[in-house]
Amino acid sequence: MARSTTLIRLASRNLRRYLRRTALTASAMIVGGALMIFSLSLGDGGHEDWIESGARMGSGHLSVQAPGFKTSRKIEDRLSAAARAGAERALQHPSVARHVVTVVPQLAIGGLASSPTGARPAQIVGVDPIAEAAFSMLDDKLVEGRYLEPGDRLAAYVGAGMMEALDLRLGSRLVLTAQDADGEISGQLVRVVGVFRSGVPEIDQTLVHIPLTTGGTWLHAGADVTTIAILLDRSRAVPAVQRALERELTDQIAAGELMVLSWRESSPELNAAVRIDDMGNYIWQGIMFGIIALGIVNTVLMSVMYRKREFGLLQALGFTPRQTGGLVITEGLALTAVSGFIGIALGLFLTWLFFRNGLDFSFTWDENFTFSGVVVDPIIVPLFSVRRVMQSLVFILLIGTLASLYPAWRAMRIDVAEAMKFER
Amino acid sequence: MTVTTNEREMAAVRVEDAWKIFRQEAEEVQAVRGVELQIAPGEFTAMAGPSGSGKTTLLNLIGGLTRPTRGHIWVAGRDLTTMSNRELARLRLEELGFVFQAYNLLPVLTAAENAEFPLLLQGRNGGDRRARVHELFTRTGLTGLEDRRPGELSGGQQQRVAVIRAVVGEPALVLADEPTANLDSAASDQLLAMMEELNRELGTTFVFATHDPRVMERARRLVRLVDGAIASDEQR
Repeated sequence: MARSTTLIRLASRNLRRYLRRTALTASAMIVGGALMIFSLSLGDGGHEDWIESGARMGSGHLSVQAPGFKTSRKIEDRLSAAARAGAERALQHPSVARHVVTVVPQLAIGGLASSPTGARPAQIVGVDPIAEAAFSMLDDKLVEGRYLEPGDRLAAYVGAGMMEALDLRLGSRLVLTAQDADGEISGQLVRVVGVFRSGVPEIDQTLVHIPLTTGGTWLHAGADVTTIAILLDRSRAVPAVQRALERELTDQIAAGELMVLSWRESSPELNAAVRIDDMGNYIWQGIMFGIIALGIVNTVLMSVMYRKREFGLLQALGFTPRQTGGLVITEGLALTAVSGFIGIALGLFLTWLFFRNGLDFSFTWDENFTFSGVVVDPIIVPLFSVRRVMQSLVFILLIGTLASLYPAWRAMRIDVAEAMKFER
Repeated sequence: MTVTTNEREMAAVRVEDAWKIFRQEAEEVQAVRGVELQIAPGEFTAMAGPSGSGKTTLLNLIGGLTRPTRGHIWVAGRDLTTMSNRELARLRLEELGFVFQAYNLLPVLTAAENAEFPLLLQGRNGGDRRARVHELFTRTGLTGLEDRRPGELSGGQQQRVAVIRAVVGEPALVLADEPTANLDSAASDQLLAMMEELNRELGTTFVFATHDPRVMERARRLVRLVDGAIASDEQR
């Protein structure tokens, strides 16, 4: 204990003694730490925005579906009434319910949309107009007409891309064709009541929303749905809520009645994009901290070379080589810990500064920029996370330790008799 | 000559056929050549000789700061040549004290902190440490300088702090390498008087490497080294 205290006391006083050198290295760590926290927070904020945008455009942060539906997109792979009831009960469980913002039923199938001018493949989604308006961003993307309303029967909300391709106008008639629950090809006439432009070409060219009741009747599905889409308060809650849901639905999952999919499984492209972006961030930070680590190695090594006599003296007084190395590592660690704390605090301050209004990147891309099926908002609001702070702190301390290892090894190998030679 | 285990254990220092050979590029330098030496507890011994005679190397061998090329060194009954680096560090901490020509106080510690440093490493509690340092500072006339950093002390004062540091842990043996070389006459006399007093009162064995006539005059045993070998060994 006394020796540990001695090491810490010596280390801190040595750092203060060589103040200019300490300050130079510390400033690099401070800037590095601040940039790391801020860029991670900004990255997380951006990703949260992409994920929420993706979730609201599609099937939520989590979705409950029949096992084959993801690949078939056919009505025969819909949820049974019992499966749907079980899922709705599971959603009431406290560990799930506290994160749930909204839940919407969807009857989604692949089909064809035709007008007198032509036909196009379509993603037809039967929705509850009120619930869907709270869930989806599509009602906000209205460019003409209105979104679906309760009481609508033969109404359709259509993407601008499809409108152009099929030469449709507001009020135009559109025939939707798909395979119904009996396996027959069945058509449904609807009228365009609203047009949206999401900014994502594949959505604007294929997506059609119709009332859920219309879809159920037309496709002979009754009150059945293909998907229960769930929007959570934040994407970080997804793994825990998914586990909790799967725990509550163990029997039905085992019986092959349903499965719980996260946005990562429903939107593999978006998942890959987030991971690639994260990886890019980590690589950039790795390079930055590699450079900073070289600076620390240089500073600590210079200090060891300059203080050979001091390390020799410590060993003459009874320090073991290992304790001598320990002193060097303690100095490196103390330097990185203090500057790392300051850097992280500075990074958190920057994050807080941009937390309210976000950072506007509209000079780089406009609000119609899309990426992996989502519209990327040019204003990114950084996202504060305790996990990121802890990760950064551990990373910084690791860098400090690793950067001190070589100088510590050199200090351990000092020839005491040589170091204590009097130089005239 | 047959040496018994008992003799080795009784001696403060016993050097048996010690050699230290340095290699400088292709050339071999024999810094210490077959030295045989025994120092009894409580002796006040000076090893004298011109530069390059091997006195500092022999002192470093006795202090376990360097290992002999061949031969054996016994300190406080223990053979240094068979000890690990860790064991040597422990021996230096508990049985040895060092005084160097360049004072070698830790610049980041105060005079009192420097003096108590070996006790800190030994794990002695704060009260014991302070009492012991206070006693030695009083005895050596350094009272009032406890909180000064080495840079704020004169050469003589720094060397007295270094001597206190060497004896504070009550080692069996203090090794002093040219302790007066950087001091003026008055400071040298004061320092040597202090060491003599500590030797007399505490029974600490002192071994000097020196070419200072003042040290040689005060030593009760004078070992002269020439070209790494003992040329004479005179008891007074």
